[in-house]
This record gives sequence, structure tokens and C-alpha cells, in this order.
Amino acid sequence: MTTRSIIGTDAGLSVRYLVPGAVRVRREDFGLLFYDSRSTHLTFVRCGESLAVGPGAPSEERELLFARPCHPAVARLLDALQAKGLLRASRCTG
Amino acid sequence: MRRVALADEALRAPVNVTWEITKACNLSCRHCLSATLRSQGRDELGLARCREIVDDLAAADVFQINFGGGEPFLRADFLDILDYAHGHGITTCVSTNGTMLHDGLVARLAAMDGLYLQVSLDGAVPETNDAIRGAGTFGRIVAGVECLRSHGVEEYSVNMVVTRVNAGEVGEFAALAARLGAKARLSRFRPSGAGCESWDDYRLTRTQLRELSAFLGEHTSILTGDSFFSLTPEGRRRLGLTMCGAARMTMAIAPDGGLYPCAFLTDPAFRAGDATHVSPVAVFRDSDVFARLRASDNATCSACSRFSLCHGGCPAVAYFVTRSLDAGDPECLVAALGESA
Repeated sequence: MTTRSIIGTDAGLSVRYLVPGAVRVRREDFGLLFYDSRSTHLTFVRCGESLAVGPGAPSEERELLFARPCHPAVARLLDALQAKGLLRASRCTG
Repeated sequence: MRRVALADEALRAPVNVTWEITKACNLSCRHCLSATLRSQGRDELGLARCREIVDDLAAADVFQINFGGGEPFLRADFLDILDYAHGHGITTCVSTNGTMLHDGLVARLAAMDGLYLQVSLDGAVPETNDAIRGAGTFGRIVAGVECLRSHGVEEYSVNMVVTRVNAGEVGEFAALAARLGAKARLSRFRPSGAGCESWDDYRLTRTQLRELSAFLGEHTSILTGDSFFSLTPEGRRRLGLTMCGAARMTMAIAPDGGLYPCAFLTDPAFRAGDATHVSPVAVFRDSDVFARLRASDNATCSACSRFSLCHGGCPAVAYFVTRSLDAGDPECLVAALGESA
């Protein structure tokens, strides 16, 4: 089950990952399916239930939720999704 | 944790749905894919049922509805349906012939979020377009596109169905689109609807197919709606699908509520349900017609070196040309152009 929205600490900063309003995400058996309405491109992410998207209207920015602390594979995935404009990292204290 | 291929997974709902929202049209284009459906006498879905269908699609997190027709803007309650879809967070794309795009309508469209417009234009010059879409239509369509620009509409494209008579104009067409402030989009001519009758006149020659493949590889900003994965050149390998999405990620709703795997597969053999009384999403998940299409492995093509790029190409073209889904796309780079596999 997904339980937290903040992962990683770096010099006292935590990172919150947000899905932009132009990006839609839905759960599939394999994990998450991302759809970028600006390009209509799809991204299939096999992550089981280890990732989820928090509540909110589809057109609003929503938080990505994590089931367990950050793993190197998750970090690489988050970098890749950011590079595609499917996530935005927000650094905060605490 | 990794990104996965579409071919490996069965989705629980379509990603997008093509919805031919009306039979009505003010043009009679020679290649119209919907001509057969439009000639049938069945009633169109009413507004109340259309809203229920949007509810069904939204509940399943369908991302986008691609509205077509007929000419969607001839349907009196179409803007209500668009608003209803947007209100549920669904992105929409409307394929229009452009002749209805006047100030009053376009002002309303310009105020909508989540709307993309695709205007059909089948040539870079009036003579070419008008021979396909009807006398005088080039000027009316261009005026409609200019109206979109004058109202500040941001997301619109002009789309040309590439045929034997306009294939030589793709470069000029892209330039025209740029002058109109529009994205250029090319889509594939298929032997569906009126295209069955015009297939021999309009299908591309081998030389044209080869030239088109090269052109698309060199002009990666041109949209294709994943029409041409059977011709995918090196330069476009990462830009779109590598296989048909029918029954896997998309489905089609006919004006009367008929449910099909794709707008190009609206043959009675592929009618999988009736949206007048059943859920389109349930049909997507459970219908035998969809399951059969998903399970087809295209044995004819599976040994081809390009199989990973197209997975056998467009089943609609294969079916309407050969009456078999296993025959492979007859217009691929290998089979039609004589390249070695």
C-alpha cells in the first residue's frame, strides 16, 4: 500500500514529486499508465502497487505516493519521468 | 521497475475512444471512412445517453475522446457533449471538415480547455483538395482555419489523408499548414467506407509509399496519429506506436451506438456491442470480438526483421484487402516495396 508522498533527504531537504495537471495517470495491473495531454504520448511504468497518485481532480497537480523508501531503481525512474515532463520535483524542508 | 511495452499488457479500459457522434455531413468526400455508417438508417444516440457514455468513460479514466462524424458541428447538442466531457476531465479532439468554423462557434471553442481541433484538408492547392472533398471546399476550409487563428485558438492541426493524387504535395501541405499557424498532420488512406470504392484510384503506388516513408523520417515534426507505423522509418522510431492500438488501447463508437475495435474496422464482423444499452468499457474488457483481435499474432509477419516496428501493420487494411486479419498489411515497406526482410 502507498503511504508517503515525500522521499529522500539531501542536506535537510525532502523531495515531493508532483504530476502536472496536463498529465493524466491511471492504475493498471502492471502499475501506472501516464498520458501527456500536450503530446498525447503514453508511458507505461511497471511498478505494481509501489507507486500511486494522490487524490485530486484530473486537471489539478497531484502528488506521487510511494509505498517504501527510495530505491535506486525508483530514483532512476523518477529522473526519467521528470525528463519527459511527467513529474515535477518540489524540494521542501522537513 | 521499468517501462513496459504496449504489446505485453492488456489495459482495463481504452486510452482513447473514437466517437463518430453524428451521421450528418454537408460534404461527400470520396474517401470518407464513415460513408457506410452514415448510409445506415439507425437513429443516433440521444444526448442523455451520450452523457451516460461519457460518465462510463470517465469512471474508467479514459484519457481522450476523438470526436468525428459526419461533421460533428452539425449536431445541435454537440457543444453540450464537449462541455460535459471536459467537465469530467477528459481531453477531446474534434475532427472537422472546417466548413462550420465561423466566428460565433469558434469564439465558444476558443474558451474551452482540453480541446484539440483537427481540420481536414486534402491538398495544398484547391484543384487537388476540391477533387476529393468537393468544389469550393478548399477556400471554405482555409477560411475556417484562419478563423481559428484569429480567435487565438492554440491547439489545431490540418490533416491530409495521403492519396495517390496528393502524395506529391506533402511538402507544400506542410508549408501551407505553417502559414496557417497549424500543425501539419498526415493520415493514412484506408479501404473503409467510401474508401472501398476509391481504393484503386487513391491507394499509394509503391514509389509513393517509399517516398512518403522517407519524407516522414526527415520531417519528424509532422504528426501522423500513428497512421504509418507500417512505414516507420528510422527517424520516427521513437515517436509513436509500433503496432495497431485497436482493441488494445482504443475503440470506436458509431453514431448509432455500435461498438467496434477501431473506426476503420466498422464491418459487421467487428461489431462488438451496442452502446444504447451496454457500457463501452465493459465491451472493451469482455467482448469476444476484441479478445480475438488482441490475440491475433499475425503469423505471416512474425519472422520479418521489421516486425518489432509494426507488428504486422494495420489490420483494417489487411482485412478489407484480403478478408483476413492474418495476411499482414499489404502496404508495408517489406511486402509492398520489395525490400528484403
